[in-house]
Amino acid sequence: MLNEWLLNFARWLDSFAWSTAIHESFYLYAWIESTHVLAIMVFLGMLFIIDLRILGLAFAQVPAARIAERLDKPMMIGFAVMVITGLLLFFAIPVRSTQSVWFRIKVVLLIAAGINAFLFRNKMKEVRRDGREEVEPSKRLRLGAGTSLFLWMGVVMTGRAIAYDWFDCHKDLSYAMYWVAGCVDEMALVE
Amino acid sequence: MDLLFIFEWLDTSFLADMSKAYGGVFAVVQMVHLVSLALLGGAVLITDLRLLGLVLRDVPSEVVTSNMDRWFSLALIIMAVSGVFMSSAVAIKLYYNEMFWAKMIGLSVGALFVYFIKRPLLAHPHETINVWALRLLAISSIVIWFTVAASGRWIGFS
Repeated sequence: MLNEWLLNFARWLDSFAWSTAIHESFYLYAWIESTHVLAIMVFLGMLFIIDLRILGLAFAQVPAARIAERLDKPMMIGFAVMVITGLLLFFAIPVRSTQSVWFRIKVVLLIAAGINAFLFRNKMKEVRRDGREEVEPSKRLRLGAGTSLFLWMGVVMTGRAIAYDWFDCHKDLSYAMYWVAGCVDEMALVE
Repeated sequence: MDLLFIFEWLDTSFLADMSKAYGGVFAVVQMVHLVSLALLGGAVLITDLRLLGLVLRDVPSEVVTSNMDRWFSLALIIMAVSGVFMSSAVAIKLYYNEMFWAKMIGLSVGALFVYFIKRPLLAHPHETINVWALRLLAISSIVIWFTVAASGRWIGFS
């Protein structure tokens, strides 16, 4: 049901002339993807350093809350560019992306990373409200930073894996794999 | 000087046997390369934006620089090792790829710039360095490393 709905949505996006235009334009597509990678350098670079500080592995002599607060704005600028270019890349190749196992795992990791970031930010707000900026991060905050590192690394890695066609619908896969990838037509053929 | 012999050697090396035979290993190394790129980007940007006075203004720039230097070097080492492994899979093709050479030139300029110009200069107290020299250093650094990253991505497109 969800697979059908997602595929219909992807096919609807695919019907836009602009989707095909981006996909077929060598320079436009390549530049959007390059910008996506450069934005990862900005966003993830800042995020890594913030997380490493919370874990006590960088800037040990500077309060963690200060590092997190001061790097937030450049990090969010990188995030915005990353999201915009990411959406454009999805828009350019909607059907294959929707039916990519890697893309699906990436989205799940993105949601998990988003929830983790939301909880992390709330905890940091509490720290500031209570005037505990100078205190070393609690165990819970450190756990959040470690989780964030792993989740975002996972997002980048699965994002890179989308380029590989190991589990694409045209391959001979098991029914379960077709289901996970959302290969609706192939599932119907097996049935 | 013709460097083809290096690529011919790499093409028949143990690394190439592995990178060509195991697509999964190649992909994982490529992912590590990308994650390290993000770390490198963070270290470069935080150092340079601080030198430009745009972030962490309440943290001395010497502290920022000394903290970021080791993460930069770590990221660069991981990228170099993973990069050689990735190159081994398509060594001969890379030798004839213009974008690969553009990246290698950028990378060499970047490494020389960091270890022979930027770091020796920033070893002095930053307040004794001309503010425009600091700004030029920071802007050059950002331009160099983002160009290296972009040209690296374009190897795959060309």
